Amino acid sequence: MAKPITGIKRQTVSYEEQVEKDIHEVREAVADNKEAILKGIQLLKALNEGGTLDSAYAFTNAKHEALKNVVNEISKDQYTPLLENLPEVVFLLGDLNVKGLREVTNRLNNGIEEMERTPDDKKTNVLDLAKALKDPEINRSLTLLLQFLRGMGK
Amino acid sequence: MLERDHTVVTINGNEYLAEPGQNLLEFIQSIDESIPAICYNESLGPIETCDTCIIQLNGEMTRACGKKVEAGMRVQTKLPHVHKAQKEALDRILEKHELYCTVCDYNNGSCEIHNTMAEFGLEHQSRPFQPTSYNRDDSGSFYRYDPDQCILCGRCVEVCQDVQVNETLTIDWERQEPRVIWDNDVPIDQSSCVNCGQCSTVCPCNAMMEVGMEGEAGFLTDQEPGLLKKMIGLTKKVETGYGPLFAVSDTEASMRESRIKKTKTVCTYCGVGCSFDVWTKDRKVLKVEPHAESPANGISTCVKGKFGWDYVNSEERLTKPLIRRGDQFEEVEWDEAIAFAAKRMTEIKEEKGADHLGFISSSKATNEESYLMQKLARQIIGTNNIDNCSRYCQTPATKGLFRTVGHGGDSGSIDDIAKAGLVMTIGSNTAESHPVLASRIKRSQKLFGQQLYVFDLRKHEMAKRADRFYQPKSGTDLVWLSAVTKYILDQGWQDKKFLKEWVNGYDEYVQSLEPFTLEYASDLTGIPVDELKDIAKNVAEAKGVAVCWAMGVTQHMRGSDTSTAISNLLLITGNYGKPGTGAYPLRGHNNVQGCSDFGSMPNFFPGYEKVTDDEVRKRYEDAWQATLPAEEGMDNHQMIEAIHNGELSGMYVIGEDTGIVDANINYVTAAFEKLDLFIVQDLFLTKTAEYADLVLPASPSLEKDGTFTNTERRIQRLYKALEPMKGTKPDWEILQLIAKDLGTDWGYTHPSEIMEESAGLAPLFAGVNYERLEGYKSLQWPVAADGTDEPLLFLDGFPFEDKKAKLFPLEFELMYDTNEEYDLHVNNGRLLEHFHEGNMTYKSEGIRRKTPNAFIEISKELAEERGVEEGGEVKLISEAGEATGVVTITDRVRGKEIFLPLNDNGKSAVNFLTDNRVDKDTNTPAYKEIAVKMKVMKKKGKSPIPPNNHRRGNPVPQISVKVQEKWKREDYQFPGSQVRR
Repeated sequence: MAKPITGIKRQTVSYEEQVEKDIHEVREAVADNKEAILKGIQLLKALNEGGTLDSAYAFTNAKHEALKNVVNEISKDQYTPLLENLPEVVFLLGDLNVKGLREVTNRLNNGIEEMERTPDDKKTNVLDLAKALKDPEINRSLTLLLQFLRGMGK
Repeated sequence: MLERDHTVVTINGNEYLAEPGQNLLEFIQSIDESIPAICYNESLGPIETCDTCIIQLNGEMTRACGKKVEAGMRVQTKLPHVHKAQKEALDRILEKHELYCTVCDYNNGSCEIHNTMAEFGLEHQSRPFQPTSYNRDDSGSFYRYDPDQCILCGRCVEVCQDVQVNETLTIDWERQEPRVIWDNDVPIDQSSCVNCGQCSTVCPCNAMMEVGMEGEAGFLTDQEPGLLKKMIGLTKKVETGYGPLFAVSDTEASMRESRIKKTKTVCTYCGVGCSFDVWTKDRKVLKVEPHAESPANGISTCVKGKFGWDYVNSEERLTKPLIRRGDQFEEVEWDEAIAFAAKRMTEIKEEKGADHLGFISSSKATNEESYLMQKLARQIIGTNNIDNCSRYCQTPATKGLFRTVGHGGDSGSIDDIAKAGLVMTIGSNTAESHPVLASRIKRSQKLFGQQLYVFDLRKHEMAKRADRFYQPKSGTDLVWLSAVTKYILDQGWQDKKFLKEWVNGYDEYVQSLEPFTLEYASDLTGIPVDELKDIAKNVAEAKGVAVCWAMGVTQHMRGSDTSTAISNLLLITGNYGKPGTGAYPLRGHNNVQGCSDFGSMPNFFPGYEKVTDDEVRKRYEDAWQATLPAEEGMDNHQMIEAIHNGELSGMYVIGEDTGIVDANINYVTAAFEKLDLFIVQDLFLTKTAEYADLVLPASPSLEKDGTFTNTERRIQRLYKALEPMKGTKPDWEILQLIAKDLGTDWGYTHPSEIMEESAGLAPLFAGVNYERLEGYKSLQWPVAADGTDEPLLFLDGFPFEDKKAKLFPLEFELMYDTNEEYDLHVNNGRLLEHFHEGNMTYKSEGIRRKTPNAFIEISKELAEERGVEEGGEVKLISEAGEATGVVTITDRVRGKEIFLPLNDNGKSAVNFLTDNRVDKDTNTPAYKEIAVKMKVMKKKGKSPIPPNNHRRGNPVPQISVKVQEKWKREDYQFPGSQVRR
């Protein structure tokens, strides 16, 4: 005569039994994954020696807080131009003719060097200018500058 | 001849062969000339709202998705002005949709806006994003709507109006800021929305999204709202160019793949057999995603399949075997439980004989598990006392089909139902019991001129939609069916050619129809003579007739005969073996079909081969190395009777709450109390399990591999999405452990091996194996050894010796009626949102909050007569027992008919009322024949249907999204005419 019942006597496992069971499970898992675990220990060791582990630990603990702080901070208006510029700078780098720029930079450096050698009190009159046009180096600079001006205007 | 079949189209100067009538956009995409397209979806067809697929066709700018391939078309997709028009359309979308992909839960590699923009190479947002003035709608339990991310593509409206055909969603194009609205602009939760979830499935972005995904899918999306908003702001600030944004978000999307598991599974609810990917993160179910290639359902789902999975992680799951000791259960280890089962079964077998044990398989478990249960019964115990719950529902239909056409299953596919010129549903509340299949009929009727005739007591959704709706008196369908058939014959409208070629028993059958005159039928059924004539004419003339029927036919004392009458009518009119025709008994549970197919029947081995057939038995005896019993066993019903008579002492039930779902449960539970051994295997401590001596905790479908067979005879694989919950085991593993303890080691390591064994033994499944069923592939039995299956049966005749079907003569006598004392007729059936006794669906909080309990539907007339109002409480008393419940007053029932959903296991359970009446041929309980008297306990009270139940909503039917109204807006200009050449 089996009457309907709903009461359940739960299996009670003592703390010690549970620990024993869990350890057994972990030991099996360790045995099954020996190689990975040994490598893992090496990785942990390396991270620890480099101090990375401490930082990672600290960051993980404060993950949500840290993200919140960063986001709150860089959301402020004062960063807006910076943020907007960041990708612009990236694109700028992509667009620039770096090879040409390097050449121009070299020339610019030469010019600065030459400029620095010139005494502060040296003067140039109109005649000197006309004469200077004949100097091939000056003529080359002026031609380049004129070409640059033309290009920039396009 | 090639020119006739194919059409030459010139695209960007190259000539291609295309199928005439093919969608032009699909064709362009098929030849790898990529053009952007967002609102277009193959499963939905052209909606023409997004304007992104603009091309130049014969010199004119137009939307590719709106055109069909014609001969000589000249198409340009890349000219500068075409490109410019496409870009304009994309820019307009980005005005409505903010790209913050990395912190968006929809960034899973399949966001169609993201992918389209990336593929088009759009680098900059040309115009600023403009949020709407609307708030997000978070009112629903299952999905939410964000107007600020919605691009108004209208896919959700299309799917709601024309695929699901629930007709809740529209876009109001007339207001200043158009948006998607529910009914007449009410919150999601207050609307007629049935939560089929298809809008969230087809949404190309995160506008309409499953709640389960929110804050779960992404690595960075689980933040408090304020912070998330700031993060969105940040992503926006750095989005000067989309390239880097896409690079970062694509990386994050692929990182998600290692965390979110997507597993193909098959729905565990009704017999339609929807398949989909279930997305899980650890044990959490994030969402269910159906696919266009899901063979039975495509992109469709209902609320149960899309959102009803909470039961899998329910805290009420059993996680330890339980043994009855004294007046309580005690948790024990598996070893002890299995040893107990084996020892007690052996004792009973030795003391009283093998036939003192009975086995009941689960129609919710897999084919492989059904196979193993009958193997355990037959091979190891040595009895044919094995059955399954299809005895409660569809065995009469199977019987009717075996008598006439030889295969006990749907004669075609759901596609054939959708294709039929005339669909008749008889005793089927299709929209609630088989929602996805019903949607196919609703769509065909709404868009393609299919005729729908509904025969039912109750004015349910399909009845309201029907072209013709008849309410024949309960249990008299056989009569009008036979009278209509007779009238067709009298008029000479039968399919003479078909009958001559394919059908036997004509003369005898025609004679048997003598009594079924129109007058007699009209008298008994209440359908007027003229109407009957009209039905006959339309059935005879229709281009393909498909008849769907369910419990309203089978759960009567003449359930098998009525099913036979349906088949007779189809034979007379030649409606077998052609596309768009046939008989469709709609199977109730996910695996009602498969559970019987794979041998859990007292008279059949797998594949419907008789246990009494010596040759067949020999085959199994050789394979199983055992002597098998040669006599038919007991079915469910006989088992219960046998317990009362002291002829059955032990019973093993898997996944079936017999004590709730069998008829006359007072009688059934009294039997349980008499058992010497009662083993119940289930997810929960069900009402039935409360009587058990041993309860074994099983794993549900998501936690195992296997196959299910749907109503179309379609065998589909399910893959393990989750590990079995700790302490539980899949049924096949449990069965194998018991067999081993009883001395036979089956040695299966995977369900595929069980299928292999079964396919090798049962000719019906000869070619079935797991490789042929991989992923979304499926097979519809019979499957030949080379893997050829039969989506449409009877193309080469019927499975009888001379390949001819048989007309089966019938008689009728009315055996049931209400009387003076028991003056009300109780009808019962399913609710859309609950399944069966509710053990699974009531675990879903979202479903519970909208439909917390069953209710009793009574008519206005009856309510007035008995002085009861909405929310009142009544007691229904039948000869077998009584049930009480809360009343709702509705026009779905009329006069003295009452409806009680079967989805309740409390005091409203309908089976307190049912008695021992059965179908005379199959012993299926006549659940639908209950006469009761009603006592009013409380005059009125709180309505049992909450204000947020979809039944209170007000749908707004229309066809598609009405894009013409968008085009008419003053602020709209076609991007193709906006760009200068």
